[in-house]
Amino acid sequence: MADRDLRLPLGVGVLVLLVAYATLVPWVAGVDDRVTDFSAARLAPSPGHPFGTDSAGRDLFVRTAAGLRVSLLIAVVCAALSTVLGAVVGAVSAAAGGWVDRLVMRLVDGINAVPHLLLGIVLVALFRGSLVAIVASIALTHWTQVARIVRAEVLSLRDRPHVDAAVLGGASRWRVVHRHLLPAALPQALVAAVLLLPHAVWHESTLSFLGLGLPPHRPSLGTLLEEARSSLLLGGWWTLLFPALSLVLTTLAVAAVGSGVRQRISAPRRGATLR
Amino acid sequence: MTAAPPALRRDPAPAASPGTRATPAPRPSRRRAAARMAVRRLAFAVPVVLGVAVGVFALAAASPFDPLAGYLGDRYLTASQDVQDRIADELGTDRPWYLHLLGWLGDLLTGDLGTSRSFGQPVVSVVAERLPWTMLLVGVALVLAVVLALVLGSWAAARRGGWVDRVVTPLCLLLQGTPPFVVALGAVAVFGVGLSWLPVAGLTDAGAALSAGQVATHLVLPATVLALSQLPWLLLSVRQSLLGSLAEDHVTGARSRGLAERTVVLRHALPTALLPFVTVLGTRLAELVVGAVLVEEVFSWPGLAQAVVTSATELDFPLLAVLTLLTTVAVLLGSLLADVATVLLDPRVRADG
Amino acid sequence: MTTGTITTTSLPALAVTGLTVRFALGRARGRRIPPQVHAATDVSFDLHPGRVLALVGESGCGKSVLTGALLGLLPANATVTGAAGLSGPAGSLDLLTTGRTTLARQVRGRRIALVPQSAATSLTPVRSARAQLEEVVRELCPGTDARVRADSLAERVGLAPADLDRFPHELSGGMAQRVAVALALAGEPQVVLADEPTAGLDRPLVDRTLGLLREVADAGCAVLLITHDLGALRRVPGAVDDVAVMYAGRLLESGPAADVLAAPGHDYTRELLAALPSGGLVPIPGQPPQLTDLPAGCAWHRRRPGRCDGGDVVHRTGARSVRCRALEAGPC
Repeated sequence: MADRDLRLPLGVGVLVLLVAYATLVPWVAGVDDRVTDFSAARLAPSPGHPFGTDSAGRDLFVRTAAGLRVSLLIAVVCAALSTVLGAVVGAVSAAAGGWVDRLVMRLVDGINAVPHLLLGIVLVALFRGSLVAIVASIALTHWTQVARIVRAEVLSLRDRPHVDAAVLGGASRWRVVHRHLLPAALPQALVAAVLLLPHAVWHESTLSFLGLGLPPHRPSLGTLLEEARSSLLLGGWWTLLFPALSLVLTTLAVAAVGSGVRQRISAPRRGATLR
Repeated sequence: MTAAPPALRRDPAPAASPGTRATPAPRPSRRRAAARMAVRRLAFAVPVVLGVAVGVFALAAASPFDPLAGYLGDRYLTASQDVQDRIADELGTDRPWYLHLLGWLGDLLTGDLGTSRSFGQPVVSVVAERLPWTMLLVGVALVLAVVLALVLGSWAAARRGGWVDRVVTPLCLLLQGTPPFVVALGAVAVFGVGLSWLPVAGLTDAGAALSAGQVATHLVLPATVLALSQLPWLLLSVRQSLLGSLAEDHVTGARSRGLAERTVVLRHALPTALLPFVTVLGTRLAELVVGAVLVEEVFSWPGLAQAVVTSATELDFPLLAVLTLLTTVAVLLGSLLADVATVLLDPRVRADG
Repeated sequence: MTTGTITTTSLPALAVTGLTVRFALGRARGRRIPPQVHAATDVSFDLHPGRVLALVGESGCGKSVLTGALLGLLPANATVTGAAGLSGPAGSLDLLTTGRTTLARQVRGRRIALVPQSAATSLTPVRSARAQLEEVVRELCPGTDARVRADSLAERVGLAPADLDRFPHELSGGMAQRVAVALALAGEPQVVLADEPTAGLDRPLVDRTLGLLREVADAGCAVLLITHDLGALRRVPGAVDDVAVMYAGRLLESGPAADVLAAPGHDYTRELLAALPSGGLVPIPGQPPQLTDLPAGCAWHRRRPGRCDGGDVVHRTGARSVRCRALEAGPC
């Protein structure tokens, strides 16, 4: 299908624009949480404030960018941590086999069976206001998908000739995993990492929205949307629209990139070989 | 294989071939398979629930917060050290966390769930008061989501590329990218504030008595939003598996027999497409619970999910621990039911399967 | 039972003339003409009530595409040309120009039925054979007692009524085949197309399936039997009345079964017979051709150069016709 081929460039394009917006705008305009101007509170979008202002009179064009920057940063860190954790656990589990493998897979099933947000809520509630807790709550609940993918990939690679050759050549088990199996499973793990990004953005914004994540004055997409909740009842639709739009666009763009890349990796070339 | 004489018209009963039985009575064995599946899943669920309990208590022990504060709240700051020690001794919070956990589990078994500080009443009555409202919300949303997913998903697949497909499928992809609380806020903005069609908070209007009509109008937005938050996954899974089964031999077979297209889709393609759908439904239950937390929070729906947020914000540990465990049990039970349903729906599952 | 004698005086129940099926393979970059699969080219045959025509050929020669074309079940990228006149008491129509809804509501199952390839997978796995048979009966013959009629159909194809209560996976290959025949007969069609009904069955079941189709024909149906199993046709004399041989989407030879099998007119038929255990197990060299790249006439001379003249002229003698002349004369 034609529109399927467009996904990857389109996703990359939107993502580049979003990242540029998130990094350049706060850098140029400067963000100071303490500056409030209640005379300019809740102004509708205008040329001076293209996204309007919030209840404390702060410009939402800048704050949304700053929020997006924080959310993206947290998401990237979480996705990276999850991927490393998942890749190591998955590869070790597959290479070790036997009861280790079974135990790890039970653990993965167990973690997947529990609502991730719930674990996040408990963790963040107990370690209130700590960025580490937020990152940990996301990383610790999201590594399982990567582990599963890497494990499957390693299992399918384990019986290939070059791996057999390495084992027969006297390479240690860890060396085989490290030198032969992990690099081969890397592309799939990277796709999984990309696809984790929107989950991480969601997770962070949800926790912050519930008042359990970042403190309210620190702009993140979640805290901005939490603020929007009260402004909304006073008619401030723009306080919801622009942060929500950047959140949705980020998710869709990342999903497009992820599925586009996955298709390029795994799709067999279509040829006119039908008989 | 012995060659039967051509005069013998009946095929030899396939009892000898593996996987079939001489008597065509699949139901008792299927029930047995379902029971076996349930037992297997329970054997998996019990350690998970225990693991969650251990995790919660271990985290609480590792956290900078004193469990006693969870019981005492503001009084924690005012109470003297003597009083604190006495209460800690009474509640057992000064013991190592695993002993505390064991004591708590023991209390749990005797039905004593402790007292919730944030609601100022026993945890049991918090649960008893709020569980029905959550069940109502989640139940209505689940039914709505499943019905919409089946109807629209089948429609989109049966008329692939038709207008329903072209409208519904991109909308689903958009919804997949939108967190439930954003959908909820959007619904508040449009239907509550913008159009003033529907109430956006609580069970009843302020001061109004609790009545079926009041609850129904207050239920519309939360239930719809909760249904919408899960709809894309369910709908796209129906569409996908129906597209798959429409291309299968048995559907071409049904079509070649001269059955009406409606019969072909509903009686031949859909039944086999439902099996993967039920599995997806099971895996989405955890997300449905998460959605319920967000939707109850946004719409101030007085259910258990909202109590999760309250207990977390207020560090009401006795309530938070019980709710965490309860949610885990509910989700595990739901996915168990989905698995059992899959077994019951599929006659190919054998007793020894 | 009719054996060998030709009774072509009766009006054909289905007259297929010049049936041609092409599949578009999508747009290929850098090519002006998109590639096409020449699945069937200029296929003509008549099906007469009471007679069985066997269409024989190697796998992938386009045999099975014919049933899809006749029933209007081909995917959207197929182009079908030619004519397929169905005539009978309910009137005459051309299957290839009839709309999909008419085909679904008035033709399929009612006037022309299919016994599909791999009977077991053509049944919906989560419903019992009875549920599916009774459903077809209710749809095709409203007003009859579905249960009674399903039982009588089962008896007719040699199944015990109790066997119908099984789910498809509980049926043996032979039983599934019988259920498929019962489903095809439910609407009392004039024409039955059987697409490789014997594939995957062991020898006794093959023979019994051929016998079953013979009975269907003897009851007045016109039967098309698509098969690659020339051996079975030889083994069960009288199972079929006529034979048509297909290669690379074209009919190379047709005629009364007894004559064609005893003295093949085309070199390809001769090689097919020689490849049978009874013919000496001489394998045919080479591969069937790619259906995307075919010559205008008989494609056989490309695989076996010098064996036939490769012409596109159909030579007729009596009831027999051969597309091009074999160069090395003599029976195999």
